[in-house]
Amino acid sequence: MFTTLAGKALVPVGLAVTGFMVVCCLILYSVIREDLHHAEIIHATNLADTVLKSARYAMHKSDRETLSTIIRNVGEQRGVDHVRIFNKKGIVVFSANPEEINRQVDKKAEGCVVCHKGTVPVTTLGTMQQSRTFRNQQGMDVMAITAPIYNEPDCSSAACHVHIASQRVLGTLDIGLSRTELEKSLSMLRIQMIIFTILSLILTIGGVTAILWRSILLPVQKLRIYAESAEDDDFIREPPPHLSHDLDIIASNLYKVKKSDADRK
Amino acid sequence: MNRNRGKLQVIEDDMTDVPENHKTTDNYAGSDGIKTLIKELEGEINRLHRFSVRGIQAVALFLIVSTLAWLDFSFLPATESVTSYLGDPPSARIISVVLLFYTFSAIILSLSRMATGIEHKSSFSHVAYLTAFFLFYHFGRSLQENYWAVFGAGITILVIESYRIWTYCAEGISRKKEDLEYAKRTGRAPIAE
Repeated sequence: MFTTLAGKALVPVGLAVTGFMVVCCLILYSVIREDLHHAEIIHATNLADTVLKSARYAMHKSDRETLSTIIRNVGEQRGVDHVRIFNKKGIVVFSANPEEINRQVDKKAEGCVVCHKGTVPVTTLGTMQQSRTFRNQQGMDVMAITAPIYNEPDCSSAACHVHIASQRVLGTLDIGLSRTELEKSLSMLRIQMIIFTILSLILTIGGVTAILWRSILLPVQKLRIYAESAEDDDFIREPPPHLSHDLDIIASNLYKVKKSDADRK
Repeated sequence: MNRNRGKLQVIEDDMTDVPENHKTTDNYAGSDGIKTLIKELEGEINRLHRFSVRGIQAVALFLIVSTLAWLDFSFLPATESVTSYLGDPPSARIISVVLLFYTFSAIILSLSRMATGIEHKSSFSHVAYLTAFFLFYHFGRSLQENYWAVFGAGITILVIESYRIWTYCAEGISRKKEDLEYAKRTGRAPIAE
């Protein structure tokens, strides 16, 4: 295969086109996945802000029943894995899953350790740092956002349940979204890219093969047959028609040499 | 094809006694000169034999580097300590764009060398560039997402380079063997093409 003209012409083209297309697809897939992940984080952060803004009045009034209803309703939404609010001590005070309420969360657990790494906890984080991805107990991929509930002037001065003004963070809202849909989309994208790559490769290799066969390999084959037949000293025939210009010159020269050789004899 | 070449050579031998591409030179005149030429040709054939495996060696080295990258370069110092000393690495997207340009340029360069028949020992430098990409992604904390892109780029470039080196050496060896055979047979040195 590697020693034939077809092999020598097609192997480097095939390797280069296949390799480059695969690398392009891998990089494109990686960039699209990163973009989708980024968009998912923005979406989850906006959702967390919406929940916090909806619950703000209930928190202000210390209306625990309304707050737990809001959390439960948000938790029932399709695609939401969990919603919970922790107090300053890391105890779950509100959750869409009643079994979690009053449970203490380990500060070294994933999602908590980002702020509680040092002796003094971090109180401000960027949007990307607030997010984490993990697999839950049901084996489902989850992307969670941890949004701090900050102490604001109207919280520290409220008459109902005053927080001291120096306390920066009052608690944390933790909301987790299922990544099933995203993974499904990525899986579809992967399949589409593989199909696209294979089809493009077939077209490229097929196109190059067809052009090579028509313009080079077939005329060379004709010339080879003519050269082999010209070995017979008693038989001189005209060069084959429809050869490309370069091959036509070779065939004509061979014909002239053979003819002059025959005339001399 | 060899049969035709043999036939043509016989015709030329009839006409001039020495084939067109096998004219003798004065540099290797005399029996000592021919012995030197034969030794040189044998040395050149051995060198080409050794050189022909260079591409495969580069692929093997790249596979070792890829295995280390797969294990997340566990022997390297922590990312934080390196970034605190050298500064933040470029974003994964910029590294990917550079990787794409590098892959494209390397393939074009390799195909150009293949077309012009240049002997170039570039395989190991490609392994160094690809290792740098692995390291940039590693210190940018995005190696996991981009591992296969670098691996695919590396395999593509190095396999094309290996093929180029292998075909170059195969052609060179066949030419040198013909020259050697001619020198042994006629006791004269062929002129280089």
